[in-house]
Amino acid sequence: MKVLNIVLNGKAVTAKMGQTILELAREHNVFIPTLCDSPALEAAAMCRLCTVQVIEGKWPKFVTACNFPLRRDAEVVTDSPEVRHGRKLIIELLMARCPTSPELQRLAVDYGCDLERFAPLNDDCVVCGLCTRACEAVTGRTLSLAGRGVAIHVDTAFQKASEYCIGCGACVQICPVNKIAMEDVDGERRIILHGKIASRVKLPQCTSCGKHFGPVIDLQQVMERMGEHKIPPPNASVCPECSRRNLAIKLGKRYFEQYGVFEDEEGQANAG
Amino acid sequence: MSGTACQCQEIECAEVEIDYTLLDKIIRDDYGGNREAMIMMMQAIQRVYRFLPEAAVKYLSQVIEVPLTKIYEVATFYASFSLEPKGKYILSVCTGTACHLRGSGGMVEHISKRMGIAPGKTTADMKLTLETVNCVGACAVAPVVVVDEKYYPKADIATLNDFMDRLDAE
Repeated sequence: MKVLNIVLNGKAVTAKMGQTILELAREHNVFIPTLCDSPALEAAAMCRLCTVQVIEGKWPKFVTACNFPLRRDAEVVTDSPEVRHGRKLIIELLMARCPTSPELQRLAVDYGCDLERFAPLNDDCVVCGLCTRACEAVTGRTLSLAGRGVAIHVDTAFQKASEYCIGCGACVQICPVNKIAMEDVDGERRIILHGKIASRVKLPQCTSCGKHFGPVIDLQQVMERMGEHKIPPPNASVCPECSRRNLAIKLGKRYFEQYGVFEDEEGQANAG
Repeated sequence: MSGTACQCQEIECAEVEIDYTLLDKIIRDDYGGNREAMIMMMQAIQRVYRFLPEAAVKYLSQVIEVPLTKIYEVATFYASFSLEPKGKYILSVCTGTACHLRGSGGMVEHISKRMGIAPGKTTADMKLTLETVNCVGACAVAPVVVVDEKYYPKADIATLNDFMDRLDAE
């Protein structure tokens, strides 16, 4: 494989063909701020925070480090007055959308941002698209980016609670500004997006203790995406806690009953 | 879900009867059920109902096995798709650069005032939908007004008044 000679912030390093600038920078412990990057998902260059300067040939240009594959020898500058100037504007704009994010607040202090410059939108969401990409990677049927340009926003189809959500919580976990909530109430799991219920997933009730647990994820959709159709859906009727306890009782009975430990045990030992 | 009432607030829309045999004809016969032709199918469905009814979109999603969210994404991305019912006539005023310079802004305002609807909205009697489009690709004959896919080049207030008079007379 061809090796590229890259000058990263004045230091000569080598990169693999097609490696992105962000990957190279991380390899060499150079920090580039990002909000929308996840090693598990394809880069989308939505937040624009990772903008760096690249000089390939004659002219310098600004590119997003997360999805810029290196294909030629180049010089990369990740932290110069010009780069910081551009990044400062991006942080100011993002802060106007979501002033409560600790990560953005840290960056705003670091870059000396003028927070009065743009009127706060308090939209909360920074439209990084991580939740929609995570959702797509799991089932691709609940969250998507609706609208276009300035009107783009995360939404469910027809703005109604989705019927297809499996309640995995990937969107909740991945959100960089923690604006998607998940709660288990009244025997259902709710994903809450922009204060509205984006999906309700019924939680099964444990036949042993009566508590709601789960969700038991129907892997059918995932298997379909992998090209497998014949996997039976998992059918758990006992919560993990009871399942463990029941198994312990079963094992205990098998090995220790002879010592008279289980004489007055009222439990039915149904191992789940 | 097809039995639920429509949730749009601005206009009262009648429940749309979805003809599934017709949808099948469009999706399977005309385009072979091929998901690559999704946008063409959506356009064909929109030609039938004048907008994209939720039930029809759901059916399309099931037949071509494309997640509903993906179709919703496409439908909200392109201004030419509408998820809300449209009027009998759709009047689009081009507000691209050339048309804008030749006064299309004033024409939009004129129609808005006379019909009492904002751009993108439909009159209460479901007769007319006023739209603005970014460019219809006919800048040489700016300003352009499009009524139901018929182009009116070098349009002016008189052309619009003519049209609206005919509409009122109907």
